[in-house]
Amino acid sequence: VTGTRAWRVALLVAAVAVVVAAPLVLSSYLLTLLTLVFIAGLLAASVNFLAGQAGLVSMGQAGIAAAAAYGVAYATVRGHDVVIQVGLALVLTLVTSLVYALMTMRSRGIVFLMITLALGMIVFGLAYRLASLTGGQNGLTGIDRPALIAENGTFYLVCAAAFALGTLVLRHVSRSPFGLAVRGVRESESRMSSLGYRVAAIKFGAVLIAGLVAGVAGILAVWQTEFISPSIAQFSRSALAVVMVILGGTGTLLGPLVGAGVVIGAEFWLSTYVERWATVLGVVFILVVLFARRGIVGELEARSHRPRRSAGPAQGLETVPRTTNAGAASPAARDDPDDQLA
Amino acid sequence: MRIVNLAHGAFFLLGGYAGIVTMGLTGQLIVAILVGVAVAAVAGLVTERVLLQRIRGQELPEVLVTVGVALVVTDLCLAAFGGNPRSIQPPAPVSGAFDLGPVTYPAYRLFLIGLAVAVFLGLYLVQHHSKLGALIRAGVDDREIAGAMGIDIDRLFTIMFVVGAGLAGLAGVAAAGALTIRPGADTDILLFGLVVVIVGGLGSVPGAAIGAVLIGIIDAFAKVWIPELATFAVFLPMAIVLVLRPRGLLGRPA
Repeated sequence: VTGTRAWRVALLVAAVAVVVAAPLVLSSYLLTLLTLVFIAGLLAASVNFLAGQAGLVSMGQAGIAAAAAYGVAYATVRGHDVVIQVGLALVLTLVTSLVYALMTMRSRGIVFLMITLALGMIVFGLAYRLASLTGGQNGLTGIDRPALIAENGTFYLVCAAAFALGTLVLRHVSRSPFGLAVRGVRESESRMSSLGYRVAAIKFGAVLIAGLVAGVAGILAVWQTEFISPSIAQFSRSALAVVMVILGGTGTLLGPLVGAGVVIGAEFWLSTYVERWATVLGVVFILVVLFARRGIVGELEARSHRPRRSAGPAQGLETVPRTTNAGAASPAARDDPDDQLA
Repeated sequence: MRIVNLAHGAFFLLGGYAGIVTMGLTGQLIVAILVGVAVAAVAGLVTERVLLQRIRGQELPEVLVTVGVALVVTDLCLAAFGGNPRSIQPPAPVSGAFDLGPVTYPAYRLFLIGLAVAVFLGLYLVQHHSKLGALIRAGVDDREIAGAMGIDIDRLFTIMFVVGAGLAGLAGVAAAGALTIRPGADTDILLFGLVVVIVGGLGSVPGAAIGAVLIGIIDAFAKVWIPELATFAVFLPMAIVLVLRPRGLLGRPA
């Protein structure tokens, strides 16, 4: 296609117009659904950044989002204004992300996955048991959105904007020298460390950045439901974010949004017909991992062979296992001193 | 064998429910245990043969598939057995309390301790002193060379996976006598399993034993002393180990 750039600008303008016009056209039910898609897409974008750039699959990302959400909820229930609410949420996001980053910076592959999973469960346990602060199983009620964004249409636009901003920031980071270093770590830790890079510090930074994005998703999530309970930190939330990323296309820009749209759309549509929605989700997940690992967006991009893909930031999930566990065939994998599993 | 099976919690749940149902039908704890182990092992066999074998050696897809299996199995358990907690009333001779001189202790818990020690010893002996154990260690160390030496890696890994699933089922039935089996018990037990393995070191049976005792004791005291922060208490040993010794207490060096 000639004039690719003009096409892309036109597409972007059209997309923005559609998103902005949506509140005028859609029913409030569909609008709420779309809002959920953008919030879930933001959390998935955070998972996607780690999976696509660093090759690290986080199974506990909902834990960070939940920490932020509880920050908002606690501050609101205590009668503080929106600045304190967001401030507390950001502090909790930062603390939780720091813990995640410190615990995982020397791991990778399945060990990274196990640690993030355990951390996510610990956040859930805290939310469940620390009843004096979190309300325990009953959660906290009476959380109102700030007056400025209380109206559903406005809140929808805020969520859409947050997703767009988060995606742009992550894209910018991915293309920065730091992002390149992150990708270098994914490809070969031993090579990066022999080049003088501090591998642990790079992973630390990547987890921290992803954590901050997840925190924003958490703030929006609690404003969306205007209620919080430990289920926001549930394992299935983190797993669902990973499902969205893989379904949409790991490492692609819009994959998380597409994945979130499919999962949430299917959830609401199917759950009116099928009672065992979680079973359907599990089966879909298995099928996607087995047969369509590039995901929807990844598959579309691969078919249209666009030249800009060569400069594009990341590859699908399927490159991850090859580099983390190249079997016994790859000497790089076997000589790697950081391989905790060897 | 370098598979993190996140469906382990689900197999635990499945084995527990199977044991509870069998117990209700027969009243025999031994039969309940056997059925629980068998059901979980069959679930493991199906997972391994139908799903995991297609993507052998690709760590992350393998883990993700087990997540999918966990979602399906736990949801089907919820459909079949409902949301109410269930448990087994331990029959004689493992019911009631056991007199240990200065203290009395529930007999069933003594039985559990014995069972755990037996399983631990069995696994350790198989891993380090049997031909099967030698084959497994060879398969884990270098899949290709082991295969080239004529070892049937696929079969070996299937055996390992099925044994692992069966043990999860055993744990499920055993836990049904001391705790309760309910939706959510799977993730609870999975958290302990993960933390124990992270602390003890991946692939080490003695490491898992040490980790389990350590985490178990810390959790038990924490639940009494600081109930609100009990989950957090499990986090501390994990954090300390990860910072000071990322491969775990007895994990093998690279």
